[in-house]
Amino acid sequence: MKLSRREMLLAAASTVSAASMGLARPALAQTDPIKIGWLAALTGPSSAPAVGFNRGVVFAAEAINAAGGIKGRKIEIITRDTQGDPTKAVNATQEMISQLKVQAVWGPTNSGESLAVTPILARAKMPNLHPCVVDTLIDPVKFPTSYRIAPSNTQWDDAVRNYTLKILKAKKVAVLGDTTGYGVSAANASAAAIKKDGAEVVYLANIDATQPDMNPDMLRAKNAGAEAIVCWSVSTGMLARLFNTRAAMGWDVPFIGHPSMSSGEIGSLIEKPANWEKVYAVGYKSCSYDAAGKLPAHSQELVDRLKGKVDLKDTLLWWVAAGYDAINLFAKAIETSGSTESAAITGYLNSLKKFPGYFGTYTYSETEHNGYQTEEVVMSAASSARDGAFTLAPGYL
Amino acid sequence: MLATIIASGLATGAVYALVGITYNTMYATSRVMSFTAGQVGMLGGVLGSLYMIVWGLPLLLALPLVLASCALIGVITEYVAVRPVLKSLEQHLYVLSTLALSLMFQQVTAIEWGTEPRPFPKLFGLGTGISDEKFWIPVIACILTIIGLEYLYRYTLLGRAFVAVAEDNYAAQALGLPERNLRIASYALAGAIGGLAGFSGGELMLAFFANGAVLNFYGFVPVALGGLGNNKGAVIGGLALGLFQQAANFMVGGIFASVAVFALFIIVLLFVPQGFFGSATARRV
Amino acid sequence: MSLAAPTHAASSDFLTANRLTYCGLLIVALSLPWVGNDYWALIATRAAIYWVLVSGLNLVVGYAGQLAIGYVALLTLGAYTTSVLTAGNVMPPVHPYIALMIAGLTGAFFGVFIGLPALRLRTFYFAMTTLGFATIVTQVALAWQSVTGGGIGITGPEFPAPFNSAWGFYAFCMGIAALCTWMTSNVAHSRHGRALVAIRDVEVAAESCGVYKPHALIKVFIIAGMLAGISGGLFASLQTYITPDAFTFELSVLFFISILIGGRGSIIGPLLGTIILTLLQEIAAPLAAWSNFLYAVLLLVIVLAMPGGIAALIDFKNKKALHSDRNLVLDVDLLGAFKPETKQSQPLDLKGIRLQFGALRAIDGLDFHVKSGEIHGLIGPNGSGKTTTLNVISGFYSPQFGQMVFDGQALPAGLPHLRAGLGIGRTYQTPKIVGEASVLDNVMLGGIASSDTHFIETVLTLPRAIAEEQKTRHDALQALRAVGLDKFASVRADRLQHSELRFLEIARALMGRPKLLMLDEPAAGLSVEEIKKLGELIKGVAKNGTAILLVEHHADFIFSICDYVTVLNLGKPLASDIPSVVRVHKEVVSAYLGA
Repeated sequence: MKLSRREMLLAAASTVSAASMGLARPALAQTDPIKIGWLAALTGPSSAPAVGFNRGVVFAAEAINAAGGIKGRKIEIITRDTQGDPTKAVNATQEMISQLKVQAVWGPTNSGESLAVTPILARAKMPNLHPCVVDTLIDPVKFPTSYRIAPSNTQWDDAVRNYTLKILKAKKVAVLGDTTGYGVSAANASAAAIKKDGAEVVYLANIDATQPDMNPDMLRAKNAGAEAIVCWSVSTGMLARLFNTRAAMGWDVPFIGHPSMSSGEIGSLIEKPANWEKVYAVGYKSCSYDAAGKLPAHSQELVDRLKGKVDLKDTLLWWVAAGYDAINLFAKAIETSGSTESAAITGYLNSLKKFPGYFGTYTYSETEHNGYQTEEVVMSAASSARDGAFTLAPGYL
Repeated sequence: MLATIIASGLATGAVYALVGITYNTMYATSRVMSFTAGQVGMLGGVLGSLYMIVWGLPLLLALPLVLASCALIGVITEYVAVRPVLKSLEQHLYVLSTLALSLMFQQVTAIEWGTEPRPFPKLFGLGTGISDEKFWIPVIACILTIIGLEYLYRYTLLGRAFVAVAEDNYAAQALGLPERNLRIASYALAGAIGGLAGFSGGELMLAFFANGAVLNFYGFVPVALGGLGNNKGAVIGGLALGLFQQAANFMVGGIFASVAVFALFIIVLLFVPQGFFGSATARRV
Repeated sequence: MSLAAPTHAASSDFLTANRLTYCGLLIVALSLPWVGNDYWALIATRAAIYWVLVSGLNLVVGYAGQLAIGYVALLTLGAYTTSVLTAGNVMPPVHPYIALMIAGLTGAFFGVFIGLPALRLRTFYFAMTTLGFATIVTQVALAWQSVTGGGIGITGPEFPAPFNSAWGFYAFCMGIAALCTWMTSNVAHSRHGRALVAIRDVEVAAESCGVYKPHALIKVFIIAGMLAGISGGLFASLQTYITPDAFTFELSVLFFISILIGGRGSIIGPLLGTIILTLLQEIAAPLAAWSNFLYAVLLLVIVLAMPGGIAALIDFKNKKALHSDRNLVLDVDLLGAFKPETKQSQPLDLKGIRLQFGALRAIDGLDFHVKSGEIHGLIGPNGSGKTTTLNVISGFYSPQFGQMVFDGQALPAGLPHLRAGLGIGRTYQTPKIVGEASVLDNVMLGGIASSDTHFIETVLTLPRAIAEEQKTRHDALQALRAVGLDKFASVRADRLQHSELRFLEIARALMGRPKLLMLDEPAAGLSVEEIKKLGELIKGVAKNGTAILLVEHHADFIFSICDYVTVLNLGKPLASDIPSVVRVHKEVVSAYLGA
């Protein structure tokens, strides 16, 4: 691939500006490893996704290095555990930029961290891929070097709303979120969009995830006449209590919403397996079984490669696949452009059309850094997990 | 609707009350308020889940084991965080030492047990809806604890010795009561009560490491409401708090319910600083 | 000031250790931009911002001893206030500097609000209140989406050039941090700082010296809240974007432990503590999962093993051996400087005092008066109500019946903190002194009631505050010389012997130029030689016109120095007369003195 004149200029400009700030990067020898920073919330609350991503990351790096690396250069993954704490994430990001001098950054994995970190990455012109769903995180003008590898919240929300209104044909919807930052904003956005589509939001509430009893909110939702409950929370404890309460009330309203509703932990928290029926969580075509119980062929290929090396039982296939894709995308960008400069990597990403990753098919451009295709977001039956993948929800089959 | 508020309010209130009694029992013999009171509550739930689900022990074996383990946690509190700072009680170092120990319990649980809530088993499998066992087990545990404590304090030598130490430490020592052993025993008792709080509330709150911090605060509110060292006050305060919290949950929603509880707490502290059933502050000079 | 020379040398010795540390820090701070990269800038800026908060919190925790464990709440408030105002979510956008100031005011307001319970209640209650408040603030930030952005958060403020680059902002924060160090250190080394430490360690004695706890605490709650609010604004700018999950309880614990590692009652210690903990997080990054646990272990170890913290480690002066010659050399001629300003012939008059605790009548109808310049002994068996009488006069107990007249005016019951101002000084059965403060500082505490400079003057060390401080110091050295303790002026008070503490307490009481001096068993635990000197001292004080009320068990001592003696039994006066009469009083002999 030839570099355009413009990209050459950009690359030169960024080198000059780095040099003028007294931070000139030493010229890398051609055998030095390529450093990719990985901001992962590996411990602490809501660490499950990062643990899954990490398996894909490690697997991808090992696969690339085993095949001789990128033009003879090995990939080195530099991981920092942020614990989901934005303060730690900011420190780690600056360390990666100024001290460790990485060539690209993958992560962070939680929106709160990502919101704090993205402006810093933009200032340093650091190529960045992340899986965080908050819409405002992607802005090609403000954050020209940040790209999203997963769907945005709007895309999730679209999938959930379309399923609720069009396939389940609910007219009156209750929207619940937890009291975390994510839960509050997601529930509000979701409710607004449902109203816009002409359905009625009969009940909207944020529930403290530690609240032992879900009866009050469920009762109010029921009394308001809800025909479906859209739920935005990553708290498995709260979700399980909601499902149990629904069963105790003898109410057969469907739950539609956040992927956490299909998390394996819920299986152990519900009182009986039946409580988890009629729960539909966001899923992905690439990681869903069809009526015959088969994954798409491309995904099956990854699963076969992972077999024996990466455990999929206690995580989700899409996390592993997205982690793999992120590292692979960076590797491809450096390999194709032949450079580790920021402008080269972002230049490659900006020209990406229908790149066939395992998790999705990515397309980016100068003005669109949301690369995931909306039609690849689907709903899956929450209780149908098998090796980290789910069966499509009824209506798609 | 009202029935639900009352059922869940009394249930959570009973758990808070038991944690309040834990605070009081520790306070009685040592004049120390310990931050580990909420953590033994959390451990009651976590250990219950560990013994019954992970190890597969039956209830009759698991419950005594949980109580014994939590009693041990109480004794550890006494040894590590209370005894060394008793001689400088007026410097309030116990606030720091027990906070440190409490954070240690919480962190070890977070790392070893996980940061996601894990299930707590059904103990009897009785009842559905608002008569579900998860609502009445804590209440029964609370009632049994009160009866047990009344019996202990009134009719046993050990209990009377507790009361004597609680009322006048120096006089009790002068009478030849083994003050130090009594204090250890009361911390063991407090640990067991806290463990029972967590165990009986396990189905309600699940086995979750962050419950400790929640119980620390919500278990302390009944003590502030009812008056320090007053178990009856703690029970009434705890049940009132549970009902208030659930009603607020129901009426204004999750976020503002905790704001309401906090506001109530501050108002009571400012206007009835010694609590509704507490005695006036002790002589200072 | 030739007499003060050794003292001065000792204290400058100590100052050098501190000064060297400050200089070292300054050199590091100034050279960092030339050797470090942006990452270093970030970490150093973070430490500076944390110190802005910790410096204020240090006055609350380290000095006043109020255990505020949830101060992250005020950081959150400050961060959101600044961000929301600069973003213009509620009103037209405000300039970042003004927003930062408003954040400081907001912090000050809420600092007082969450501090209110501390004015009346036990320490643990205050700890719980701050903890509860920390949870509430985060939840409100989440719920109030239209203003705070809810979980999506809000962009932090950006300060105008030259403070918008990494090193520019570093310079800005360092400047503010240095200012905070200066201001809080001014407070710490003033009468306000001494009052706080006294509240922490000897609340009762502090009140008798004229410290009013609510006033003293509210001032530091304001300043600590203000600094926390400003720190929050800077924090938001450093983070560039804030969401509620940035304000973890772990951060609160970090602030709190920085102070305890540093050592209570020190400025330099907590400063070093803050720097160490901020760096530790980076060095121990691989142990992130255990960081909270490590903090907890650190906290426990400090509390149990080294309560003095870093400050005690670098306090070389107090590691030296004390003078071997511990003979007290009194200089009663100097007592003239402490004679009461006006003289009434009969400062104290009690009529029909009755005090009950439940059914027990601790004082049951007590009348007596003390004349100016008179040494009035109060004796009686244990439990006869002697100390209780002193406590009634001091205002710690309010009698149910009876009148007290002092200096020609009715003396209201209660209100112990007003006694020093009226000219009532006292000592205690067990000396109540601040062990961690120097002997000189302990004596200077006695000068509080006569100080009148405003808190602001102290914070900014304006001329009047300096002058007053110098005068108090001078007076305190005089008082120490009078009681023979001047050679120990700069020594930590807890290194003195028990008998010396009794003289120290008298020196402290003299600072208020008392019209009435109440001594509670001053001879207890003193050697024969020391008792002789005590008698000399008491007589010297009385000679200047101070009325002395002396509670004592030591009969010989009482009868040798008292002008008048009242004997109490079961709360009632048994006899009241000149010593020679009381000594042979039949009932007194049988009830108390023995055959």
